Amino acid sequence: MNMDNEISLEDLSFLQLSDSFFPTGLYTTSNGLEALFYEGKLKKPKHLQDLIKTFLFQQIGPTDCTALGNVYDCINSSDLAEILRTDQMIYSMKLIEEVREASVRSGIQLLRCVNSFVLGNAILEHYQRLVKNGEASGVYPVSFAVACNSLSITKYRAGLMLLYGFTITVVAAAIRLGILQHLEGQKVIHNLKPSILSSVHSNIQKPLSSMWQFAPIIDITQIKHEQMDSKMFVT
Amino acid sequence: MSPRRIPRIGIGGPVGCGKTMLIEQVVPLLSLDGYKVGIISNDVISKEDAERMRKNLATEKGLMSEDLVIGVATGGCPHTAIREDPSMNISIVEEMESKHDYLDLIFIESGGDNITTTFSPALADYFIYIIDVSAGDKYPRKRGLGIETCDLLVINKIDLAPHVGASLKVMERDAKRIRGDKPFIFVNSRTGKGTKEVASYIIKDVLFESPPWTSNKK
Repeated sequence: MNMDNEISLEDLSFLQLSDSFFPTGLYTTSNGLEALFYEGKLKKPKHLQDLIKTFLFQQIGPTDCTALGNVYDCINSSDLAEILRTDQMIYSMKLIEEVREASVRSGIQLLRCVNSFVLGNAILEHYQRLVKNGEASGVYPVSFAVACNSLSITKYRAGLMLLYGFTITVVAAAIRLGILQHLEGQKVIHNLKPSILSSVHSNIQKPLSSMWQFAPIIDITQIKHEQMDSKMFVT
Repeated sequence: MSPRRIPRIGIGGPVGCGKTMLIEQVVPLLSLDGYKVGIISNDVISKEDAERMRKNLATEKGLMSEDLVIGVATGGCPHTAIREDPSMNISIVEEMESKHDYLDLIFIESGGDNITTTFSPALADYFIYIIDVSAGDKYPRKRGLGIETCDLLVINKIDLAPHVGASLKVMERDAKRIRGDKPFIFVNSRTGKGTKEVASYIIKDVLFESPPWTSNKK
């Protein structure tokens, strides 16, 4: 049983990397939400909640979360080559160019940031070297897994952080677009907690070969958003 | 090997103050001296400024290749994108540095909606803040981090002063009082008045009067 006084540096690292203040640039992304907004397809908090659920169960969960779990397993078995393979595979699964580029840019900046205060972590340094040399892309879920591991954050908690972080990015974009107001935003996040948990449990232990995604309407929306002339967000 | 860090100039100021036009005036002047630049434009809700600069400076004048003008969406947070979390901008700057290592300068333009805009030193080495006369002669006096801390304050659209009842003398007096020894320039970007001085400041204070990078390499 957890005691009330059991707190640790790892808990603080968990908070630090989960915080929207942590500089990864993800606040610039809406994952296509902006296009749905302008098409008049997102009007109520419930619509947003359903959309994020689709992301969690049909796209980000079975791809990014599975990739993150695999990176942790590779680190535990000291299989560095498999980390590189995971990087390449998850990169190739990001179908939309702007989504792929944003994921890489955020991942690289996250790595750099963590590397500025975590010293002497061999895996972190190794992966950053691969990115610098152009062998690895630095795509976000892999960078995030490597960074969390370097701060002794456990695999399942890292999975929670990944999907929670994604959720708040989309909710924050919705608030800035005026789709919902701040109190409704927190209610949506609260309502999505079981889905976040469930997606982590369903996806984090799966092998790399079982990564999948199927959200064609979201894909098409993201393509449309990518091509919009006037927009606030990166897709 | 890490790519060479190319000097970066942040250009900030309220929407409509003339940031894009200033860049369009200054780049050809720098180009006359052989300097090559790249431009990253953070727009609040569109890529219009980037597209305009690409058309005017790259396509029509041929002063740079079209891929050297990049528009960035900031999620409605232009201030965050250049100060608290400049990750996306830094990433794009580094991509530009690695693809175009011969550049002498990178301009990073960012619009905003208030006078507290500043650039993270991790993103920009030199900060030009622009205000325009049509917003009233009270502007320098109102202070704000942008006006107070920038390396060069540009006061644009001086031709409009008589039409909006603004006194350039008042603006000059207040700018001197607020900024002390730090420079400011009156400019009319539409006619080019004052833009040579802006280019001179850049060559002196950012490039340290060094010759273009490509001429060093010859």
